[in-house]
Amino acid sequence: MAAADSPSTALRRRDLCSRGIRLAGKMRADVVDLLDAYVEQQGLDASASVAAVEGLPLAAVERWDEQTGAQRLLENLAAYRAFRALLAQMLEEQREQLGEADAGLGHALAAVLLQVSAFAYHLEELLRLESRGVPSEEGDGPPPLPHLSLFEQKLRGLGVLRELAQWAVRSVRDLRQLAKPNPAAGTAPSLAES
Amino acid sequence: AADPAVISPQDPTLLIGSSLVATCTVSPDFPLKAEDLYWTLNGRRLPAASYAALGPSTLSVALARLNGSRQQSGDNLVCHSRDGGILAGSCLYVGLPPEKPVNITCWSKNMKDLTCKWAPGTEGETFLHTNYTLKYKRRWYGQDNTCQEYHTAGTYSCHIPKDLALFTPYEIWVEASNRLGVAVSDVVMLDILDVVTTDPPSDVHVSRVGDLEDQLSVRWSSPPALKDFLFQAKYQIQYRVEDSSEWKVVDDVGNQTSCRLAGLRPGTVYFVQVRCNPFSIYGSKKAGIWSDWSNPTAASTPRSERVAGGCDPKGGEQNTTLRRELKQFFGWVKKHAYGCSNLGIKLYDQWRVWLQKSHKTRNQV
Repeated sequence: MAAADSPSTALRRRDLCSRGIRLAGKMRADVVDLLDAYVEQQGLDASASVAAVEGLPLAAVERWDEQTGAQRLLENLAAYRAFRALLAQMLEEQREQLGEADAGLGHALAAVLLQVSAFAYHLEELLRLESRGVPSEEGDGPPPLPHLSLFEQKLRGLGVLRELAQWAVRSVRDLRQLAKPNPAAGTAPSLAES
Repeated sequence: AADPAVISPQDPTLLIGSSLVATCTVSPDFPLKAEDLYWTLNGRRLPAASYAALGPSTLSVALARLNGSRQQSGDNLVCHSRDGGILAGSCLYVGLPPEKPVNITCWSKNMKDLTCKWAPGTEGETFLHTNYTLKYKRRWYGQDNTCQEYHTAGTYSCHIPKDLALFTPYEIWVEASNRLGVAVSDVVMLDILDVVTTDPPSDVHVSRVGDLEDQLSVRWSSPPALKDFLFQAKYQIQYRVEDSSEWKVVDDVGNQTSCRLAGLRPGTVYFVQVRCNPFSIYGSKKAGIWSDWSNPTAASTPRSERVAGGCDPKGGEQNTTLRRELKQFFGWVKKHAYGCSNLGIKLYDQWRVWLQKSHKTRNQV
């Protein structure tokens, strides 16, 4: 069994987890609103099935309850870094297609992008707290996204936003797991155990 | 992985009223035939009567007399497999080329910048995203410049914040462009000095004029930003009663910074606004552009107090009583001072004495 955390570490972890849960909750609410506006602007059916999007992290996970704290944090971090690149690409495409004409959707996209960046940073803080190295972002940046037709861009955007909403739900649950006190030691569990 | 199908044409741009034949060709890697496919446009299934199988795995659809796109991101023409799966999509951009932008008007705030607005042309709706670019140059020389800050004074507006010269005419125009073409407005020529406006007057104070029930005094300060320039300002005041939407305008305020409003209702709250027009900038006699109105300032006219149930006549009531007495007096004079041409105050006093005596006698009775 791993050694119990110091009280200050446990307290800091609990604090970071609480704030992270609030961030993720707000992010999900904003993504849901953005999704509504997006499907309307793009003339899409919200329930349209979308082909697999290259580079899109899927929130679905098997045996979620068996994951360690470290796995949860690392998977979350990788996901939100990927979303950051995908949303930036969506924003760029939006501006190319519609300029500033649809400033409302552009602003909403930019706001969600900001929240995703902030959440990724928050996850890095949690990893640092656990004295875990924060994985560097690979290469000089994310791999270039494949060129898609305009219709494919619309569908990709739908897929990205849907999956982001799912990830926000998963992140809340992951952070709640992380914040749970260790019943055996009376303190929050180490990442190996949570 | 190969795309399951390809639509042709991909993302076409079309004039309203056009017809289109699109084809969906399934990739050889997918075991689908033409009869396994169907089309939707913006989510609505297109009738099978408009389909034609052009080959074992190619299905076409004919679209006639297309309406303007439902959304500026393009109409979604989608090829589906029988089970509803999306095989491929194409965005149709159906609309009109832009009209020439019109009614360009510009104004300069304190001669430091220029804001222009325009209207999008007589029809306006192109159904396509239309980009507007405001351009300007000095008339006789200089290169074309492009305005960068859009939507500062409404959708069709742009703001040039700096690097503008005075005493030289500018040419200004607007270019509209979309997927179907470009249209350029007429060129407007102006000198910055001719389109100057300023901030509204500051420190607007409205106060009562002593006990006068029908007057209010309005005072304000001239806009500070133009103090450095040799200009005069003329002002306008507008005011309204609190519960009315009708403003009255006082136009002949001139260049004073105070004014008295008269003919007002007693005991009434008034809202007052002031605005400014700079003129005679650097000696020119041309008027500028009226500023925005200052924020409304409220004040109320006094109303003289009347004590309910009071026995002593006050103010107006004394006048009414006196008038009634005088009427009675002249009636008495007619009766008792027949032929008397000199009606002096002594005669009035004697009548007053008589009146008092007659009141006493009545009370005794």
